[in-house]
Amino acid sequence: MAAFTDRFSRISALKPTRPRPSGAELLRAPHAEDSLSRLLGAGIATNRYGQHVLVRNWFSSPEYSEVSDVSLDLLSHGRDEALSRRTRAALADPSKWLFLDTETTGLAGGTGTYAFLIGLAWWDAGALQVEQFFMRDFGEEHAILHEVASRLADRPVLVTFNGKSFDWPLLENRFTMTRSIAVPRLAAHLDLLHPARALWKLRLGSVRLVELERHVLDAAKLGWHREEDVLAALIPQHYFDYLRGGPAEPLAAVVRHNQMDLRGLAALVGKIDALLRSDASSEAESLDLFGLSRYLQRRGNSQRAHSTCTQAIGLGLPREYDRQARRELALLAKRRGEHEQAAKLWHELASDESTGIYACVQLAIYYERRAKRLESALDFARLALAKVRRHKMNSLDPAANTRSLSLEQSILNRVARLEHRIRLNRVSPALPMAAPEATLGAGGFVPVSLNSRE
Amino acid sequence: MSESLAVRRAGTSNIASDGLASSRESTAITRVHQVLDAFAARDVHGEILTAVRHFPAREAQWVDFPAWAHADLRTAYAGKGIRQLYSHQAAAAEAVHGGKNIVVVTPTASGKTLCYNLPILNAILESSDSRALYLFPTKALAQDQLAELHDLSQRLENRFGVFTYDGDTPSDARKAIREKGHIVLTNPDMLHTGILPHHTRWTRLFENLRFIVVDELHTYRGVFGSHLCNVLRRLRRIARFYGREPQFICSSATIANPGELASRLLEANVEVLNANGAPAAEKTFVFYNPPVVNRALGIRRSYINESARVAQEFLKHELQTIVFANSRLHTELLLTYLQQANPHGPGKPETIRGYRGGYLPNERREIERGLRDARIRGVVSTSALELGIDVGSLDAVVMAGYPGTIAGTWQRAGRAGRRSGSSCAVLVASSAPLDQFMVRNPDYFFGSTPEHAFIQPDNLEILVNHLKCAAFELPIAPEERFGDVDVPDLCARLAEAGFLHQAGEHYHWTHEAYPADTVSLRSVTSDNFVIIDITGEPKVIGEVDFSSALTTVHEKAIYLHGGEQYHVEHLDFKERKAYVKRVDVDYYTDAIRYTQVRVLEIAATARDSDSSHSHGDVLVRSQVVGFKKIKFFTNENVGAGKLELPENEMHTTSYWITLERPLLESLPFTVSERQSGMFGLLHALESVATLLLMCDGRDLGTAIGERPPDATAVEAFSPARMEEMVGANAKEFFEPNLYLFDAYPGGIGFSEPLFRVHDLLVQKTRELIRSCECDQGCPSCVGPAGDLAPRTKDAALAILDRLCA
Repeated sequence: MAAFTDRFSRISALKPTRPRPSGAELLRAPHAEDSLSRLLGAGIATNRYGQHVLVRNWFSSPEYSEVSDVSLDLLSHGRDEALSRRTRAALADPSKWLFLDTETTGLAGGTGTYAFLIGLAWWDAGALQVEQFFMRDFGEEHAILHEVASRLADRPVLVTFNGKSFDWPLLENRFTMTRSIAVPRLAAHLDLLHPARALWKLRLGSVRLVELERHVLDAAKLGWHREEDVLAALIPQHYFDYLRGGPAEPLAAVVRHNQMDLRGLAALVGKIDALLRSDASSEAESLDLFGLSRYLQRRGNSQRAHSTCTQAIGLGLPREYDRQARRELALLAKRRGEHEQAAKLWHELASDESTGIYACVQLAIYYERRAKRLESALDFARLALAKVRRHKMNSLDPAANTRSLSLEQSILNRVARLEHRIRLNRVSPALPMAAPEATLGAGGFVPVSLNSRE
Repeated sequence: MSESLAVRRAGTSNIASDGLASSRESTAITRVHQVLDAFAARDVHGEILTAVRHFPAREAQWVDFPAWAHADLRTAYAGKGIRQLYSHQAAAAEAVHGGKNIVVVTPTASGKTLCYNLPILNAILESSDSRALYLFPTKALAQDQLAELHDLSQRLENRFGVFTYDGDTPSDARKAIREKGHIVLTNPDMLHTGILPHHTRWTRLFENLRFIVVDELHTYRGVFGSHLCNVLRRLRRIARFYGREPQFICSSATIANPGELASRLLEANVEVLNANGAPAAEKTFVFYNPPVVNRALGIRRSYINESARVAQEFLKHELQTIVFANSRLHTELLLTYLQQANPHGPGKPETIRGYRGGYLPNERREIERGLRDARIRGVVSTSALELGIDVGSLDAVVMAGYPGTIAGTWQRAGRAGRRSGSSCAVLVASSAPLDQFMVRNPDYFFGSTPEHAFIQPDNLEILVNHLKCAAFELPIAPEERFGDVDVPDLCARLAEAGFLHQAGEHYHWTHEAYPADTVSLRSVTSDNFVIIDITGEPKVIGEVDFSSALTTVHEKAIYLHGGEQYHVEHLDFKERKAYVKRVDVDYYTDAIRYTQVRVLEIAATARDSDSSHSHGDVLVRSQVVGFKKIKFFTNENVGAGKLELPENEMHTTSYWITLERPLLESLPFTVSERQSGMFGLLHALESVATLLLMCDGRDLGTAIGERPPDATAVEAFSPARMEEMVGANAKEFFEPNLYLFDAYPGGIGFSEPLFRVHDLLVQKTRELIRSCECDQGCPSCVGPAGDLAPRTKDAALAILDRLCA
């Protein structure tokens, strides 16, 4: 029978992928089930699904700040008009807001990923009331989900950070898995990741909540500091260890981490509102303003986008972004029909390495269509051609080269067309379109389309 | 298929009078006959056409639509020209309607899709909540079905939604599919990684899941089938969670045990429907053995060239022809030959096309259409067209090489056969043992049932992986069953290893990883080596699985890929990468592998007079210790090298024959002839075993070792490599075991069946070797003569005579 017991030791699917939590000293003492509660000053709550741990705290910061109508309009703006209107109406009542952040057993998603800690928060008495529901074991999951469902019944407007693609679908799975607690219906779901990314990605590079807290919310000034914050990647492991009798301390840290995330989330609302509500935010950083202008532009407010962009350039942007901002500004001007203004900006950009090609093409279009100066148009088209060829020669990226190639072809077409039109004008200025084909000349390009859309 | 009359057409009876002009006017029947006569004319010695069998035409068996069929559904089918059903379609629809699990066994192009579409669409029309899941082994097949179902959906005013759900489905379309798809077409891999672990997204489907269609059931055998069985266990488990026990409808090509395979896969009672009511045209099946050019060495003319020649004969007579090759390389070769032989007019499209995996979907659709409306006269394909892709029926099928199984051969042959007229299928044999056995023993092919398909879903390595996936999908309850294993014990072991945690009575998944991602249904191990070409800019040119990596991409090996030779510069074992450079040399390399087998536990033994055969658990240890360089064409040994590669250990199951001392001593051969004879015998045994098992040659491993004094004894082995065994100072085996083991950890269920068919196995092996025309051994029987001692063939036969006695 030795062979039979051996059989299991050979099965690679049964081999542990990491060591077991070691050291008996780490284990909780018997009957110390509530050590976590002791560590956090939490209580054991009971509902009809059984027990769970409830951590309840009121924080004086961040303070409640009203969100302006302008901001609400911008934040609820979506592709679906009707949906946007409904979201807008739901968002109007801040007493219906519920901030949510979960800690989970993994990031993979799917039905085997659990939310073992669900943190909720809402405005109360001018500041933040936080409730966190923790399951000490899988048997307590129904109980904490029941609590979340009842909180959401009172406050059906969900505010999260990346909750649309992570936290909420995961909770939907969990509710479905119970087969007894219905998935709560939301009146609206505001995911702050998207506006935050639009506003601060340029400046910060990363828009993780911790980064935002440090660089946007000015955590130090609020008196916040995440001492001994847990590494997010280790959170599932801390929980698995706890399940198997490991220490409660790391989980207490996870609970504090979750509290900080909820407070950060609530504070972020105020910061986003401050940027969105007026275009005269004198304290704002130039890069944030540039981000804001792009956000406004995407939401169809090109008027404000323009003024914000101008303001950002005025405050001074790093060179790379300055070029981008001017380019956006020129495009905004062109869209409004202010072609001279746009041309002025393109001229400033024409000599630039990266945006130069585009600027020259735009100027060629401008001189051909608006200013009706074909020679100038041809000059800029040729300049664009030279630039794109130089760019192609210096580039090693095959994908970019393919793009350059198609750009080069379109510029070549443009040059050909302009040369053709100039020749026609010379031959018979009165009848430019009726020129006989013979005048095309030896190397003549056949014009691709005289009326191609620009 | 009924045994039918063998028609051997004598020489030049009726072609002489047929001129070119009349051939153009003649009907398909006469043209097929002309081609057959042309073959016969070449076969002066009567050794090329080893069989010519004629199958008469068969009438359709018509039956009315069942009375319960929805009027709109009848109208929709009538719009497609279907007003009556073949008898097997009606029987299938009736059985499904009666709530049974069924497997429909039918040849190619007999209207099997209607067997499941009719009852399922009827159920959806009756109750629009009903949902069905269709599983196809490939994406291409799902696409083909999608077109058919779309057409029906349009005829039924879009009263049902049908979608494919696979790796190509855009993410923004997925939500709609989950909600609106009455019928979802997918593949086992997507079910395994994409649907089951996210079942909460599919509540609409699962809460209303009434039917599961498993198409091409016969493809799920061996490792793939064992995986599928476990995926279906998980599927039924999830369906049960949503309160559903879906009904299964399977279709299968003709195999020996469709009912057994289906009930093992589904773990339920399955009714087998194998009466075929579809009509069939007159058909002739020809076995074609390329002429011998060197009788002593058993060398025949290249079967690829001969296949091209045969195909050209059909094309010349304006018969639409499909040529099947067994590899991509051969597909390309045959395509080149035939395109050159049939130049298309200037500015006109090619009339001969290739078809294989790797072609773009649009291109494939275009070829399929071209075949249906006869714009394309010939197509060269890999097995891609073997499965139920609809290309209509053609006049002739040419198989370049035996497809590996009897079932596969019938399926390919089924590609030819118009409803009227005549058709022809030709099998051109290569010199591989299986091919030669088949063409020389046509009665075996035409007379016997096709192969059995085996699965071993309770292989622990496979099962445990799926148990992990199951726990991820839904906590495991204490009373749950999952295969024939002790579930609570396995759960406790998984909990010990940190994957599960028991809360209350249930086991929950406690790992960050997504377990389905680490289990691949198709390959033996997901641990593949990538081949990187560093001749110029480094680029990945291919992948080989772990076990073949050691023999094909070891350092200094010559690796063949896409007809090019590559020299392996460096094998990074830890990173699973092989770096190769393109070269042009006149040799190839052959790895020297030592394999040792230790018997761990004997499950059963049967004694014969001077021998015995057994099956049981074994430990296989193998190591690649060196390689030889062998010159092309002459097969000279032009060099060798030593290698230091890690040893590989695998616990698996094996079947073995023990040759006892009296048997060996009674043989009138020298020691080295005897030793060599054993290796030759094993070579032939392996070929015949893969034939009987319907398995891939790579699924079985072979070794010879000394029989230990008793099963629990410490290993007593010598390296099992022929050179050492047949050399002058080789140590003689006292009582050797000849092992045929499952080349998959834990075993895949071949050993027990081999043990059962032992008598047939040795008998067929004897026939194979005896009927081979070579003098002293060739690749078709006991192995290439150059590697063997003289009289190997005789020694092998002498042993077999004793085994059969």
